[in-house]
Amino acid sequence: MSVITIDNLKKEYSSRNFSAKKILALDGVSFEIGEGEIFGLLGPNGAGKTTLIKVLLGITFPTSGSGKLFDKDLNDVKTKTRIGYLPENHSFPNYFTGEQVLHHFGKLSGMSSEDVKLKSAEYLNIVGMKEWAKVKIRKYSKGMMQRIGLAQAMINNPDLIFLDEPTDGVDPIGRKEIRDVLLNLKSQGKTIFLNSHLLSETELICDRVAILNKGKLIKEGRVEDITSTDSYAFITSGLTDEVYNSLMNNYKAVIQSRNNFLIPANNLEEVNTIIDFLRSKNIMIQSVSKEKITLESKFINLIEHKL
Amino acid sequence: MELITFISGIIREALAKKIILSIFLFFSLIILFIVFAATNDSVAGMLTFLEASGGNADYRSAVIFFESNITSKIPMFMMIAFYLIIVSSFIPSMLQKGHIDLLLSKPISRTKIVLGHLLAGTAFAFLSSLFLLGTIWIIVSVKTGIWHVPFLYSIVWFTFIFLTLYSFVILIGLLTKNTILNILINLILFFPFSWIFYLLNEVTKKGEQFFSFNAVTEFIIKFFYYILPKPWDLADLCENSIKGESLGSVQPIITSLLFIGIMVSLSIWYFNKKDY
Repeated sequence: MSVITIDNLKKEYSSRNFSAKKILALDGVSFEIGEGEIFGLLGPNGAGKTTLIKVLLGITFPTSGSGKLFDKDLNDVKTKTRIGYLPENHSFPNYFTGEQVLHHFGKLSGMSSEDVKLKSAEYLNIVGMKEWAKVKIRKYSKGMMQRIGLAQAMINNPDLIFLDEPTDGVDPIGRKEIRDVLLNLKSQGKTIFLNSHLLSETELICDRVAILNKGKLIKEGRVEDITSTDSYAFITSGLTDEVYNSLMNNYKAVIQSRNNFLIPANNLEEVNTIIDFLRSKNIMIQSVSKEKITLESKFINLIEHKL
Repeated sequence: MELITFISGIIREALAKKIILSIFLFFSLIILFIVFAATNDSVAGMLTFLEASGGNADYRSAVIFFESNITSKIPMFMMIAFYLIIVSSFIPSMLQKGHIDLLLSKPISRTKIVLGHLLAGTAFAFLSSLFLLGTIWIIVSVKTGIWHVPFLYSIVWFTFIFLTLYSFVILIGLLTKNTILNILINLILFFPFSWIFYLLNEVTKKGEQFFSFNAVTEFIIKFFYYILPKPWDLADLCENSIKGESLGSVQPIITSLLFIGIMVSLSIWYFNKKDY
């Protein structure tokens, strides 16, 4: 079942200086997100990531195109009882304590007082803020604000959670804890829409990612598909000069070191042909694996139009 | 339930910003002043004044005269202006980046958010007026022995006058997102703008008794008079109701209700289509 469906979504903003010039924040974006997925939205600053989340949540309205959350229109208010959201640079009223933040936003999400009380204690514990529950949030650090924000996004036990830069300002141990929380939510069947600049983190936890640049969706797919390449990495021993030259001339091998090389291959048949060739020359093969690049490298390549 | 939570959030904000405490302290000072001012001597002084003015005065009418002066135009202006300054920050504070996003992601409609602000502000004005005017009424009544119940109508009148202007505060708050600008625009509308048109309309009503305007000027005066809120006319009606006199024309009530309706509708329409 699709939790999020968007079809040819466009969003234009008027420029602020009274000129007729429009700023295209989203340019015909379409994709679907299924139940229980962790979906990462990536893109450079100003790519339209936050705008897309805002459109999905009904905070901003699309210029054209359509979208659905749980098969309901984006403006359906009741659907929001099933949604949690942590905005980027959120600003909770600073006269609240951590506990009061959860109470206030839990009640606004339609929860009963008893439920809020019960869940507050649970989520404050999960995000490691139990000790700070009764302290005014004006005394919180950036990392603590993110933790309380995450608890706020989870308080109503939502089926879909939007997180805009959830680990912003959080230390490495805190980031690991947040990752564990998100993986735990996924194991409960929750769908998570993650917007993050930290590509290494996204790679660790996301099932699928979409890359947005200047409002356009330039890549979308499973993380392993996006990070895989058409090349296979061979580690061998006893490579002779003749084989070495043959690999470069006939198989377009990219030699990384004397016995390590990459060979482009479109399918397993081609890989096996290379293995047969190496074995016919009595070359020992230590390993053959599909070459992968990091999500960060892929992202940079895509943004710079190298791929 | 979400609406009640939203309204309680606004009240919590007022408490946190020490707004309610400030009002309590300020109004307590006024009440203390009334405790000392409302003596038999001051009522006797008013009785003398009424007699000197040629009226057939008695002790009861002197008390009513005292009470109607407490709720006359100048105290009304000060009290409502005080309320407006206080509530002008509510909408811009809600529209702060990072706060409005979160609010709009919750299952509460934009229309309910505007109505929640209207209800919270009106409840605030009603309860504050109830505290001040209700306490003054008890003090004056205990001290003079005259329990003049119509004085309490002023609580409803003041709340209504506030509501008329507050509907405009909400719209300007949504448009400008700026507390200072909101206060300035609203105070200018309240005084001198609507006051000038109130006075000019009073002059046109008197016809050529003083001097007359030409048809175009009179049309312009009437036009602005009818489209603007009418706190000053409503203050007249408040005074009449306290004195037990006939209200006279209910046109200010009807046009003020229309003004509230239009301002609230515009606010809801604008807020419902605005990107945040």
